[in-house]
Amino acid sequence: MSKSIWDYIGSFFQGGVFVYGMVMLLTYALLAVLSFIAVNRFRKKEQYTDYRKLTSSPLAPGISVIAPAFNEGVTIIQNVRSLLTLNYARYEVIIINDGSTDDTLEKLVTEFDLVPIDFAYNEKIKSKPVRRIFRSTNTAYEKLMVVDKENGKSKADASNAGINASSFDYFLCTDVDCIIEKDTLIKMIQPFMAEEGKKIQEVGEPCPECGYVHIVEDKRRVIATGATLRIANSSDIEEGVLVRMRPPKALFPRFQEMEYIRSYVLGKMGWSMINSVPNVSGGLGLFDKEIAIKAGGYDPLSFGEDMDLVTRMCAYMRDNKQKYAIRYIPSTQCWTEGPPNLKIFGRQRTRWGRGLMQIMAIHKKILFNPRYGRLGLIVFPYNFLFEFLAPIIEVLGIIYYIYIIITGQINAQNALLLLLFVYLYSVMITTIALFWDQIVNRNYKTWIEVFGLSLMAFLEPIIYHPLIVFFALKGYYNFITGRKHVWGNMQRQGFGRPKK
Amino acid sequence: MPDIFADFSPEEPVRIPLLDSFLELPVIIQIAVIFIFISSASIVFIQVRIWFTRYKGHRMQKRLAVLLPLIDNLISEHIILRNDVMNNSVHADNADLDIDAFRLREFRKKGNKQILIDRLISYRKGFSGSTGALLRRLYLELDLDKVSFKKMKRSQWNTKVRGIRELTDMDISISDVNILPLTNSKRNELRSEARNAYIKLSKNEPFKFFDISTEPLLKWDQIELFKTITTTENIALPSFARWVTYSSNKSIVSFCLKLIVHYNQIDAGPAVVKLLDNKDHVLRAEAINCLGKLKYEEVEQQLLHIYSNQPLNCQLEILKAIGRMETRHSVLFLKQEFLYSTDFDIRKNAARSLVRNAPKALIEELMASSSEDGQLILKHSMNPLIKY
Repeated sequence: MSKSIWDYIGSFFQGGVFVYGMVMLLTYALLAVLSFIAVNRFRKKEQYTDYRKLTSSPLAPGISVIAPAFNEGVTIIQNVRSLLTLNYARYEVIIINDGSTDDTLEKLVTEFDLVPIDFAYNEKIKSKPVRRIFRSTNTAYEKLMVVDKENGKSKADASNAGINASSFDYFLCTDVDCIIEKDTLIKMIQPFMAEEGKKIQEVGEPCPECGYVHIVEDKRRVIATGATLRIANSSDIEEGVLVRMRPPKALFPRFQEMEYIRSYVLGKMGWSMINSVPNVSGGLGLFDKEIAIKAGGYDPLSFGEDMDLVTRMCAYMRDNKQKYAIRYIPSTQCWTEGPPNLKIFGRQRTRWGRGLMQIMAIHKKILFNPRYGRLGLIVFPYNFLFEFLAPIIEVLGIIYYIYIIITGQINAQNALLLLLFVYLYSVMITTIALFWDQIVNRNYKTWIEVFGLSLMAFLEPIIYHPLIVFFALKGYYNFITGRKHVWGNMQRQGFGRPKK
Repeated sequence: MPDIFADFSPEEPVRIPLLDSFLELPVIIQIAVIFIFISSASIVFIQVRIWFTRYKGHRMQKRLAVLLPLIDNLISEHIILRNDVMNNSVHADNADLDIDAFRLREFRKKGNKQILIDRLISYRKGFSGSTGALLRRLYLELDLDKVSFKKMKRSQWNTKVRGIRELTDMDISISDVNILPLTNSKRNELRSEARNAYIKLSKNEPFKFFDISTEPLLKWDQIELFKTITTTENIALPSFARWVTYSSNKSIVSFCLKLIVHYNQIDAGPAVVKLLDNKDHVLRAEAINCLGKLKYEEVEQQLLHIYSNQPLNCQLEILKAIGRMETRHSVLFLKQEFLYSTDFDIRKNAARSLVRNAPKALIEELMASSSEDGQLILKHSMNPLIKY
């Protein structure tokens, strides 16, 4: 019996998906091994690094903490107070009031004794006009600066204004409602300082002209660092400080907590080992200001502004033939509130999907381009094949599965074995991530809490993953059809307040 | 005797039904089945491992809950609350110390001995004088230094680091033969710890390793070393100009510039001035910064002379240095840079230095004659609420 063209297409699709799946699974296995090495290395260093001793050093570089705020009147005071108590010698906190329509600015002015000042604002990156800049007359709040600007309809625009107003060479971008660990700045600046001039070779005799032995340096400039973010929805928070960490009780935040652990502790730490970090989270990232400005700052029109900035910074370094690195640390430094329900979660993931497609479209010249080194040959291909294409291939796979079931072409036993294999493999990877997390972060008090969270890995492929695929595809659709995106407030419930 | 091979026929292979059905599967499915077993086993193993790790942590907490009060009581009774030690009437070396009270069965175990070492170090950090010296004596007489030295000899870098750290914290000298090679180790963490230890423990030449270091002194290590140098009591401070002049290690030179500023070693000025001809613009900028902070006025004209040939980072440092020197000799230069430069940062730094140097009348005149931007920069520079 001769085969039809559809049979050939079917065979090709099956073979292609098999190879695709195997490469993906192998990549996860590789990331698990790499992240284990990275996590262990970090743990060993942590054992004898006394960060407290170093926070007061006059040699530590200055850092500007940039936190945009839009209609955050309910929690702004507590959040700013928390940011003002970080343990670091030289830092400033820049709150950007992004045209809030509530009483955010008024509350800040009253609480922190702010007065408008004549500030020489240099617009190195375009943003919506800045109306006024405030400083406190109270020396207790001398680190605080508030930038009041017109609403730019994006966090990116507000962050750009903050970068323009900042004084120091490094800036930490965060969300104003994130809870940041007190030692975050010193821990995150460490990779910048520990890598500079790492490899250094002397060559020849001292130069008769200058007296120096001319040295060959292999300077790799760290342009950004990130740290682990966690979901704090069910945790106990008092006065902006997390006092008892608990896995979220609600279903969606709980899934996200598990997803964050896998993404940060296993994924990003693994990529960090081979200097191929694809993204530094918008919730917490420390950047080299000079490179960020030269790369053009955040793109206000981007739906994935954090990944877009990192991509442009890396591309800038490659274009200018400079070596660079992006590093991650596995310790939990930031706690954020995850979307509490399906509606808000869906909106967030649709935007992420749209952002990913937008980045792939804008930076398509980087994909498989050897000129961009790891960015072009590892980071972008991975993102394209296993982040961007994955939802499309998955849906096509499901359709094909249904087709072969209907047409009776399926070997039920083999199909079930393959499904079980993929299912258990995914559970295993998540369980490994939880274990790595336990090595470096003992955030949960009891083993039962860890075990309870790990059980979510069994439900993820059935409940959570299909939703992620759906919202990603919705994001792609919105991008292709150019559907207008409405920037919505995350509708956070706020930390440390009784839930309504 | 029963014949156990009675039914065995060499022609008929042994059949294991499950294995047979496995071997009949396509290779891909066979791989999948193998991975199903591997994944299942891994999930169970990891869960058990997580539980076990946490259980170990829990047991450690329980052990600490028993041992720490015991150690605390012993230390309080035999060391801290002693009248002769409290009023410094007896030297630590001559004081009676009941060592046998500390030689308890509990501390024979390796893990418990480590808890004792950690606790002693923790107390030693909190006490100086006779009490501190007595704690050190206790550590030595209990032969705990041997435990730390043993760690130093181990091959794992992190164990070595721990050993060095313990000896440093207890102020136990380590011979140069043992520590100096480690100050130039390829392993950065070990190198850094050894350098810190050398600074703290070497009584005569704590900075000797500056001479032999070919490995870089990373910025992060500089922070740690700076802290150690500036907090170690009775440290023999050399003239850091020596390394500024002779060291071939750029990172050592850079670090020495910071130390020169911290200890205000004005004598180092001429050595630092020589760095203005260095090809590395980062080092040059650091040298200018150092000269400015030292208020080394002799170099002001030279700075003005080289200004136009410098990259932006050096130009900014020159503007700041002139401001810090406050000689008022370069007001005209600063005014020109403020009025005519097209770079925002140059104008801002020139304005700042002008505010520090120029007479009030000139500032008022500039305020009246400047553009709107210029006025804003001047107001910015004069505002005491703006620090940076």
